Amino acid sequence: MRRGAAWRGPRTTTILVAVVTGVVSIILCFCIVLFLHRYRSAMVHSARTGGAQAVSQVSNTVGNYLRDMEQAMGLVEQSMSSDPDSRDELLATLLNFRPDVVAVTSYSSGGALLDCWSLGREPKENILRNLSFDLERARTSSGAYMTAPHVVTIFESWYPWVVTMTEPLSAQGGAAAWVSLDLSFSGISGYISSVSIGQRGYCFLMDEAGNIVYHPQQQLLHSGLKSEDTAALAALEDGSYADDTVIYSLTGVEGSDWRVVGVSYVDELVDRGVQEMIRLSLWLAALVLAAALLTSWLLSQLLSRPLRDLASAMGSFEADADHFTYRPVEGTREVRELSGSFGHMVMRIQRLMSTVRQEEVNLRKTELKALQAQINPHFLYNTLDSIAWMCEQGRSGDAVKMIHALARLFRISISRGHELIPIAKEIEHAENYLEIQKYRYKNQFTYSFDVDPGCLDYCCNKITLQPIIENAIMHGLDLMVDEGRIQVCVSQDGDDIVFRVRDNGVGMSAEQVRAILEEDAQDRTGIGIKNVNDRLRIYFGGQYGLHITSELDVGTTVELRMPKIREAGGYETK
Amino acid sequence: MRRSKYLLLALLVSCLCGCGADAALPVRHSVALIVKSTDSEFFLSVFAGARAAATEYNLDLTISGPETEEDYETQNWMIDRAVEDGAEAIVFSAVGYEENAAAIDAAAESGVHIVSIDSGVGSGHVSAYIGTDNYAAGKMAAQAALERVEGPLLVGIVNYNEGTANGQERVRGAVDALTESGRARITAVTTTLVDAPRAQTDTIALLLDHPEINVLIAFNEPTSVGVARAIQVLERSEDIFFVGFDSNVVTIDGLQDGCVDALIVQNPYAMGYLGVESAYKLLTGQGGGLKAVVDTSTQIVDRENIFTMDGQKALFAFDQHQKPAK
Repeated sequence: MRRGAAWRGPRTTTILVAVVTGVVSIILCFCIVLFLHRYRSAMVHSARTGGAQAVSQVSNTVGNYLRDMEQAMGLVEQSMSSDPDSRDELLATLLNFRPDVVAVTSYSSGGALLDCWSLGREPKENILRNLSFDLERARTSSGAYMTAPHVVTIFESWYPWVVTMTEPLSAQGGAAAWVSLDLSFSGISGYISSVSIGQRGYCFLMDEAGNIVYHPQQQLLHSGLKSEDTAALAALEDGSYADDTVIYSLTGVEGSDWRVVGVSYVDELVDRGVQEMIRLSLWLAALVLAAALLTSWLLSQLLSRPLRDLASAMGSFEADADHFTYRPVEGTREVRELSGSFGHMVMRIQRLMSTVRQEEVNLRKTELKALQAQINPHFLYNTLDSIAWMCEQGRSGDAVKMIHALARLFRISISRGHELIPIAKEIEHAENYLEIQKYRYKNQFTYSFDVDPGCLDYCCNKITLQPIIENAIMHGLDLMVDEGRIQVCVSQDGDDIVFRVRDNGVGMSAEQVRAILEEDAQDRTGIGIKNVNDRLRIYFGGQYGLHITSELDVGTTVELRMPKIREAGGYETK
Repeated sequence: MRRSKYLLLALLVSCLCGCGADAALPVRHSVALIVKSTDSEFFLSVFAGARAAATEYNLDLTISGPETEEDYETQNWMIDRAVEDGAEAIVFSAVGYEENAAAIDAAAESGVHIVSIDSGVGSGHVSAYIGTDNYAAGKMAAQAALERVEGPLLVGIVNYNEGTANGQERVRGAVDALTESGRARITAVTTTLVDAPRAQTDTIALLLDHPEINVLIAFNEPTSVGVARAIQVLERSEDIFFVGFDSNVVTIDGLQDGCVDALIVQNPYAMGYLGVESAYKLLTGQGGGLKAVVDTSTQIVDRENIFTMDGQKALFAFDQHQKPAK
């Protein structure tokens, strides 16, 4: 709608859409940032809780395992105190009931292996090194002690992982000073391996010093392809610790110096969720933004389109008030009211304009009629004087001619009140006037007519040529010493008819020309040139009327232009 | 005006479409692990590592391998079938360096990522190799003997499947180290099958032919078991220094009673784990940071360190190894 290159300031649509979109975006950004921040901390919190829960579960299981071991040890102790036969029987029962008990071994005070009870297996004859018993540690520890997981090395071709509990025996029965119980570790290791925190998180066991007791990826650790910073972990209290990438959860195992460490990854537990949420909220934001855009755009359309329509209606009214037809603009109530007011205004202005035009025409007509009614008495006196003088001289023929001319002049002047008369009549009128003036000025000038016969049938305003000729005689020829000459020429020019009155009189300056066209003929009683010009313009429009070219001491040409009119009727009524 | 209206409409529609398409879940990738055998403890440990990684990275893992470690044809068929079944990555230990190359090339050309573990394959499409530096491991085996045996070494080498990459690299490393030492002589080389009884028979024959041999080196788990048993049968534990590969109850027993003197222990768990992890990285577009060769560590275990904590962790698996379902 913007016409031309001129920038006329932003439109309502643009402002509204920009403001709404801007505000919505700011609010959205703020909300998303706040939400994501909260969401992330909630996720981290829940990941830590999850880790702590998994770890405490593992800790309970390991604790149960250790309690089981103590329970089994109690049974072993009981049976060791009975006599050898019932002892063997009791231990065999224990082994049968508890398949996780790998072996029970007893040792002399010198550390030698005395007896071994195991389901269907006998120890090797040459044991390279027995990991199930450590004499030094047995001697230094005050009571029962527990080893870290190790393999059983006393059997041939069987190397299960176990945890060993060694307890000193009160030396009442026999020579056995210590008894060791090997409890299978594979159940626990399998359980710990199967624990996962999230997709990739895992648990491992370490002791208080930070030595790894069991790790599901033992072999990777062992070959240096993976590492755990157990020294730092050992320094931490029980609880959950989150850094940028990893969440560690620690908890001790009841009844031992072991600690369970849970490792989980921030990227999979938190970041993935947060990323998902970012994606989701971005989509939502886009959706809301689009909705805001659409809504604001629709709203502004609702408001600004009728306003623009109204503005363009006003524009076209401004350009051409005459031919503007008012059409009501649809829209909201305010716009309709505005449009209604504009409609009223248009109607009133158009009515006023036509009234003014009518009044103008009436004024001119009245003026003309008033002027026609009173023929210049001076002119009449002079003419009558001339006629009287002719009669005295006995020139009755000339006197008759003169009286005829005067009579015709009056008849055409009156012409039954019509404004428009045929051009032929107007020319006849002009001729009669010139005839009379020629007598009066005693043949001081000559005149000639050059009329295109095609023009004669058209109409023209009456008394248009006569005032101009009068002006030529009075101002152009009156003061001349030489013989004056007046040429009247009527010709067609396209759709127009052009009258030209040329004299060879004294001419006029540019100021005089302007004065003649602008001033009313107050000093004289005749019809002024201005009157002719005004009538032509009122009748036919601005492009018609008078044009004067004049040169001092050379002469003046007055050009009169009007459209070709066949009948008087069309213009008469306007 | 009109244009901006359409623009807005298009924006709104694309928003709505985007929201609908957003709900897709992350896909579960499928990975095939194809190895040389499904029986040896070595590969059982590989499977354990692979399963751990598959669980950790939420992958669909299928495990397969031929009956014998010479059967490259079955391996080729397994590769083809894995591709047909829609595996997106294959973690592969090749029976034949040359013989499996074409099948791997074909698989790679159909868009499957290839990670090689344990034993390499002669294909240009392998994204990463994860396993023992076999040449160094062979050297390590020879060094173990050189350090622990005084005087001249008369070495018998028990070789297996000459087409497989890892075994031949190890033999080359051992031979190079022995030659460099100046006091070792390779008395005899026997090539046997990757099968303990067969290796036992061949070793007995070798020892009977060359009774002067005082050092034996075997380069994988089944042949080591065979050699250990042969030494036991011939009662030559005292005068023969035997260096074997990998851990097996038989060789571990042998280490304790003297018929095995040192074991070069690889890290099969790490191979399986890292192999599958690399496959995951390739499938999720993180393959850029992948190293072309990852050396999983090897370790010498002898009578001194067998029952240290490190020795135990290297030799004995915590969990009961599961065989893949056939």
